[in-house]
Amino acid sequence: MATQTPVPAVLDQTTSTACRPMWLEVLHDWVTTVDHKKIGLMYIGYALLFLVVAGFEALLIRIQLAIPNNTFVSPQVFNRLFTMHGSTMIFFVAMPVLFGFGNYLIPLMIGARDMAFPRLNAFSFWVSAFGGLLLYFSYFGGSGLYGAGSAPDVGWWAYAPLTAKAFSPGHSTDYWTLAILLSGVGTIGTALNIVTTVICMRCPGMKLSRMPLLVWIYLVMSLMAFVTISPLTAAQIMLMLDRYLGSHLFDTQAGGSAVLWMHFFWIFGHPEVYILILPAFAFANEIIPVFSRKAIFGYPAMVAATVGIGFVSLSVWAHHMFTVGMGAGANTFFVFSSMTIAVPTGIKIFNWLATIWGGKIRFTTSMMFAIGFLFQFLIAGLTGIMLAVAPFDWQLGNSYFVVAHFHYVIVGGILFMLFSAFYYWYPKMTGRMLSEKLGKWHFWLFLIGFHLTFDIMHIPGILGMPRRIYTYEADRGWMIWNLLVSSGAMIQTVGVLLFVYNLVRSYFKGAVAGADPWDGWTLEWSTTSPPPSYNFAVIPSVGSRRPLWDLKHPEDPDNNYE
Amino acid sequence: MNNDEERTQSGVVELPSPTAWPMVLALGLALICTGMVTNVVIGLLGLLLFVWGGIGWFLQVLPHEQHVEVPVLNEEIEIASSRRLKARLPASDMHRKILPIETYHISAGIKGGIAGGIAMIVPAALFGLIRYHSIWYAANLLAAGGFVSWIGASDAFLSQFHMQGLFAAIAIHGLTSLLVGLLYGAVLPMYPRYPIVTAGLVAPLLFTGILHSALGVISPILNQRIDWFWFVISQVAFGLVCGFVVNLHTRVRTAQFRALPFAVRAGIHSDFAARNDPAEKADKKDQAQ
Repeated sequence: MATQTPVPAVLDQTTSTACRPMWLEVLHDWVTTVDHKKIGLMYIGYALLFLVVAGFEALLIRIQLAIPNNTFVSPQVFNRLFTMHGSTMIFFVAMPVLFGFGNYLIPLMIGARDMAFPRLNAFSFWVSAFGGLLLYFSYFGGSGLYGAGSAPDVGWWAYAPLTAKAFSPGHSTDYWTLAILLSGVGTIGTALNIVTTVICMRCPGMKLSRMPLLVWIYLVMSLMAFVTISPLTAAQIMLMLDRYLGSHLFDTQAGGSAVLWMHFFWIFGHPEVYILILPAFAFANEIIPVFSRKAIFGYPAMVAATVGIGFVSLSVWAHHMFTVGMGAGANTFFVFSSMTIAVPTGIKIFNWLATIWGGKIRFTTSMMFAIGFLFQFLIAGLTGIMLAVAPFDWQLGNSYFVVAHFHYVIVGGILFMLFSAFYYWYPKMTGRMLSEKLGKWHFWLFLIGFHLTFDIMHIPGILGMPRRIYTYEADRGWMIWNLLVSSGAMIQTVGVLLFVYNLVRSYFKGAVAGADPWDGWTLEWSTTSPPPSYNFAVIPSVGSRRPLWDLKHPEDPDNNYE
Repeated sequence: MNNDEERTQSGVVELPSPTAWPMVLALGLALICTGMVTNVVIGLLGLLLFVWGGIGWFLQVLPHEQHVEVPVLNEEIEIASSRRLKARLPASDMHRKILPIETYHISAGIKGGIAGGIAMIVPAALFGLIRYHSIWYAANLLAAGGFVSWIGASDAFLSQFHMQGLFAAIAIHGLTSLLVGLLYGAVLPMYPRYPIVTAGLVAPLLFTGILHSALGVISPILNQRIDWFWFVISQVAFGLVCGFVVNLHTRVRTAQFRALPFAVRAGIHSDFAARNDPAEKADKKDQAQ
């Protein structure tokens, strides 16, 4: 028997006869907003914009590599393409889109009206956005007075001594340094905001043990951002000192150390992978239970695994440096620490499977992307364990096997879960449902394209194809694999274009969503879609981890069991 | 009644007022950076905006934070499940796993691992003594997995005493023994009927099988020179001693125990015994058929 419990909430009663605001008013509204939801949407919009740009760069890379001896782009342009693709995807797509979802959802899920520091929130967004614009302004201003280079071309790691003045004249590297530095300021600001909001602004009854797992994970992810962004920012400042004030911190010929840069970069770089994947886990923790119609399996273990990943991920960075020659002791330590992280991650995988097991599964597009994520992230984790074995890494380090591995993590894991999150929360953000039919097309096209690209990409890596190679001879035996990989990239592009079309079309013509289209259990589904600026007319009070379940099923509330 | 409720009832909610100052401050900072790679004038403009934005932001929050009052219109939203609840079918307990309501304290596993590890040394040393006339051979062979330079070492070399080899062997053997001991402590309560067979035979054979398939990857030198007969004997020695030590300890109650009815926990009714009684299980099976 269905149960109904009326609760006081709020509807936007703006009449349809109200005047449409002028575009300047709309612009003013968005530029001056400190509302976490609008800032979240701006983060997401700006990340999608950069996703299209960086995706286009990836396409150009794949066209160049599709056949041997190709000169579709010049070597110099190719170097800029992979540098800009990597930097953009990490700093100006993945980070902002994840912070966008966090910004939008966290206050709603904890029953708060806004983030703890709304103005800092706006500042963090704008400084990140200007960082991205600065990076791309390098295409116009990177030559500086020297006429050398335009966009950065030192790779997204920017290893020394490539970044030294002698090898990177002009300002292209400086644009990269400053843009990443600005992005780092924004990241720290948002992380500070999330931590404070979660600690101080939870609604009555929401103890830490009742917090949605998404919020838990964002808390851990933000704490990790404090620890990891700082060394990166420090390294950027040190690089500027090297380039302009005559210090020799990374100059090996003058007593500096190129390996020092590697340590600084990867002590940021590897935890960054977990900073990115943790929100994907967060989405899975919310979406999989709702579409399995079961409460998450092992909530305390999930929290412990998240915190465990947070700790262990800070001690694995040098597995990116096995080929440097660190010595047996360091290699052994980083092999074991890298493998250790598989334990909490495995706990999560098993718990998601246990949540699905015996559930009444609803195969919505969102759930299908989530299931795709589960399988693909498992494979990505397994190739990660292979690469964590130092002797294996000596053979395949810096090959396309590594490129395939981390794209499996980022695309097969993070991007799949992001698509899942879009299909799940788009109705809340816009009040309209995304088309399920277009969504299924998007899913299957993207799934096929993904596997064609990134499954096969492992093979040229095993055959010895190095990453960042501009082109190759026909007799290497890599052509057929590269052609297939590039074909897969095209199919993925069609899938993404379909998704963008779905986003735009559904905004105007999608079915009206209502407050709770998925029969959800967390607080964001208790207010209107989209929510009013104040989120909740009355601050809610919760008695369990699934407050809406309690309201819908007063005869069998969760707090009987927690 | 708190301020929030008062305001809600009066029909308004206070929210932070919109402001462009954070954007101006961010733009100023970005232009300062841009000025470093373009022209100093742009940097100066950035500095100006930065200061201007900072002052503007300061005045937004001090002496009093600026707010706007947003009107609230209360309307009831139905929070209702779109799904129907069905009466649960009675579940058979035939296929349900019965988790242990008592287990060993973690220290039991540690102590068992230490004792088993010491016991294992005896057959290992005996093997070295009989085959190579050296009690150090087994320790050096184990340590060789951690030293790249020992891969091609001769039997004579491995039969000699090496301090670093001894330390490495102690570290590897000690850590492995502790971990396996902990595993014994966790697993043995799940197989309470034949602890000696489980600990002394099944577990060592399973562990030997796993290691047989993986040793080529873990330690190629150990894989080349290992004597599997003696390895099994040393594993059985470990299993028997570790299992014995673990079994000596008193069990502690698990979370499963707290889930039992009060009558069972209080010892008034022995449900646990019934659930583990093979005869009763057989009866239930017959009834189900």
